[in-house]
Order: sequence, then structure tokens, then C-alpha cells
Amino acid sequence: MKEFDLESMSREMPFKMPEHFMDDMTERVVSQIGKQKKRHNERKIYALFAATASVAAVAVLLLHPFGGRLDIPDYENISQCASIDEVFQTMSADDLGVYSMMSNYYGD
Amino acid sequence: MKSEESLSVSDDSIARLLCDDNHVEEAVRLIMKKYGEPLYWHIRRMVVAHDDAEDALQETMINVYKYRSTYSNEFPLSSWLYKIATNESLKILKNKAGFTLSVDDLGDSLKDSVREEASPDADETLILLQEAIALLPAKQKMVFNLRYYDDKSYEEIHQIVGDSVNTLKTNYHYAVQKIKDYITEHQL
Repeated sequence: MKEFDLESMSREMPFKMPEHFMDDMTERVVSQIGKQKKRHNERKIYALFAATASVAAVAVLLLHPFGGRLDIPDYENISQCASIDEVFQTMSADDLGVYSMMSNYYGD
Repeated sequence: MKSEESLSVSDDSIARLLCDDNHVEEAVRLIMKKYGEPLYWHIRRMVVAHDDAEDALQETMINVYKYRSTYSNEFPLSSWLYKIATNESLKILKNKAGFTLSVDDLGDSLKDSVREEASPDADETLILLQEAIALLPAKQKMVFNLRYYDDKSYEEIHQIVGDSVNTLKTNYHYAVQKIKDYITEHQL
């Protein structure tokens, strides 16, 4: 059997590429890249906005620590609080009855 | 831009445009004009079916855009492009093979596809040659195609495939022997 001579073969392919395939593919790829670029830019803007917002929030917190607007008890003047006896004096007879019953049940 | 002009644009210029966000689309158009067809045929010879070649070529170009920052001009642009195209072709074949088979087990189904995909007026010897190539293990197929059809040197094939030059030469030698045997056996 005669050995086949590969070098003498044509480099042609037995397949065909559809007409305009390369042009269509180029347009499709460029359009996809355009979309990816747009998405990437949107993400960059969002990240920049988020970073700016975070920095602004931290700055507000640092520059105005609670602003004295929160009702934090003034423990130095705790003596001004009502004494237990005063609380008992304001309680109704029914409330005192309930208190007495609970004290007996749980102990003082 | 006319295709003749595109073909004369140097790879260095294309690479520079590719790394410039404002000119990346232009770079992709130039790559498609200069290397689109060779890349398509390189992929097609690996995956055989046109639809698969289309998917692989599109993914190749998207990856060129995505990973353009990883391109180093130590290597020729064409080798980088062929490397991405080869990986995409292998990815298509791996998907076809699924979990149970390896890419090298696809030989018979790829061989059958050659006849289905061949043009009605195609030369029988050309079909036999493609059948023989389809039956080769993936590595031998890559090396044979790059050397025989794309006229790549072993050094360039090394940049694309990654194996040592001696291993590539051995792969090519085995591929040629198997192809010759197949055609000699099947030729009328």
C-alpha cells in the first residue's frame, strides 16, 4: 500500500464559513464589549458614590458626637431621683395589694 | 478602515490600543480583521461544528477584552490570541465530554461531525484528513494544526500550548504518523 504524502496535500478545509460571518461576529463582539464597558462604568460610579456616602456619614458622626440630643441619664445628679418611699406613697391600694402578693410569692 | 490597512497595523499598535479604554473597540475590530479568520479556523479544526466555533470565537474575543491587562508584550500578540482561542476550544470540548468522558474520548463523535459539516462539493481526501485529525488526542491535534495549517514554529507553539519543544516535536511526529496511517487505510 502506497504511503500517503501529507506535504503534497492542499491546506484547504472541507468546511465553509457562512458569508458575512466575520463582519457579523465583529459587530456582535464590539456591541457586547460596549455593554460590558457601560456596566463597568456604572459599577465604578456606584462604588464612588458609596465610598463618598460612607466617608460623609463617618465625618458627621465624628464631628457631632450625639450632639447632646440623646437622653443620656445624668448619673452625677442621681440623688434627684424619687426615693422608693415616695414611689410607694403614689401607689394606689390595688397596686399595693398586687405588690404585697408578688412579694409574698417571690420573697423580698 | 479597509481590511488591507488593518492587516498592516502592527501588533504593538494593536496591543497599545487594546490597553487604552477609549480605543479598545477599535483594537478589537483590528484583531478581528487581522486574526479573526485564522482564529476561527484554528477553533473550527478543534471543535469541527461551526456553531461551536462561533461560540468559542465570541468567547475568545470577550476574554481578550476582559483579560487585556494580563497581556505582556514579551509574547507576540498572535500567540496570546491563539492561547485564548485554544483554551476556549478545549472548554467547548470539555462541556461536550461532560463529567464521565475526557476530551480525548470525543474522537469518534468529532469524526462523525466532520462528514456532517463538510460541504457537499468537498474533496474526499480533505474530509479524510479532517477525520484523521478529529481522531487525534487533543494535544496532538493542537500541535499538528498549529504547525501544519498555521505554520507556527515550535517556539510559538510552546508559547501557546505550554509544553517543551521536544514534547511538541514528539506530539507532531505521532500525529503525522496516525494521520498517514488513517488516510492510507481509508483512501479508495
